[in-house]
Amino acid sequence: MQKIRPPFVFDENLNSSFLEELFEGDTKYAEAIFEDFLKDIPVYWERVETAYHNRNLPILGTSVHTCKTLFGYVGFTDLQELCQQFENKCSVNSPEELRVDYILLIQRKERAQHIIEKEYARLRLFNGDKD
Amino acid sequence: MKISCIIVEDIQIAADFLRKFCEKSDLVEVKGHFLNVMDALEYLDRERVDLLFLDVEMPGANGFELLDRLTYSPMIILTTSKTEYAFNAFQYHVNDYLKKPFTYKRFIEAIGKLQLQPAETSPAQQLPATQTDTEFLFIKADDKLTKIRKDDILFLESMRDYVKFVTSSKNYMTYSTLKNMEEKLLGQTFLKVHRSYIVNLSKIDDIRGNTIYILGNQIPIGKGHKEDLEARLNIL
Repeated sequence: MQKIRPPFVFDENLNSSFLEELFEGDTKYAEAIFEDFLKDIPVYWERVETAYHNRNLPILGTSVHTCKTLFGYVGFTDLQELCQQFENKCSVNSPEELRVDYILLIQRKERAQHIIEKEYARLRLFNGDKD
Repeated sequence: MKISCIIVEDIQIAADFLRKFCEKSDLVEVKGHFLNVMDALEYLDRERVDLLFLDVEMPGANGFELLDRLTYSPMIILTTSKTEYAFNAFQYHVNDYLKKPFTYKRFIEAIGKLQLQPAETSPAQQLPATQTDTEFLFIKADDKLTKIRKDDILFLESMRDYVKFVTSSKNYMTYSTLKNMEEKLLGQTFLKVHRSYIVNLSKIDDIRGNTIYILGNQIPIGKGHKEDLEARLNIL
């Protein structure tokens, strides 16, 4: 009798219901998107750091805007919201006023990246078993 | 016939999802993907597409600047993760607005909406009709969204809870009312001629007494509609 394989369950820190709707059970595609995220986020985040250190708030805002979209596509909808708030503050606050929020954003981004790395590895394992 | 489109989006993941959704729907053909406004404008100077999927915030010029420089009026679906652009979208007569990240279900809703919004262009944007301009609508028939060119429609007939679309090649049944179709079609080349019929005036072959003939089909003219019909056809 053929064993029915349970579906892939996304990490509890992610918006799993959204990811299930987004990927519709296509774990290979999810793996590809997570891989793209891990390749892209260092590049885009470097722009955030550069802009912050150069005190260039317009560029900081647009750079965070880009990262925000990436977080959304891997299920970090809460981090997406945090990025939106930070992006809004870039147009009204000074670099000094943004410092605390910036540190929080870095911490959350690091944590998110770590979770996605683990999730990517899990997806690869899951998809590898199917072959 | 598929809707041709280009994707103007600087985030690759977002563009990949959009392309995947277009392919999955089998309704939209992606002619190109551009990372910035200038490359997109260069393409649009040479080629026309039916639809633009347009991000707002991109390096260099933003999406609205592209719209300012367009020389024709394709349909526009704005894709952005900011809701603050909704007012600008309204001013630019954008067809729909997709907040990233969006699912396939939301994407299909946006494509389906394309039929519900008549082209609203400011006088400055109105251009003479050309061979490449397309006018079509989508109807839900046989569990799928089907694209129909308005110019192919001969007439519509009310059939209780359904509306039958009669075209030159095929008939379609969709769960709707004639009244709903009136709101979408009237004022163009379509006219209600009977409580159960709307006709495409450009397809009328002849009129004999109280009957309209279109490609061998006979459509009755309702008493209360004859005057309207005569006025529209400039019958002396």
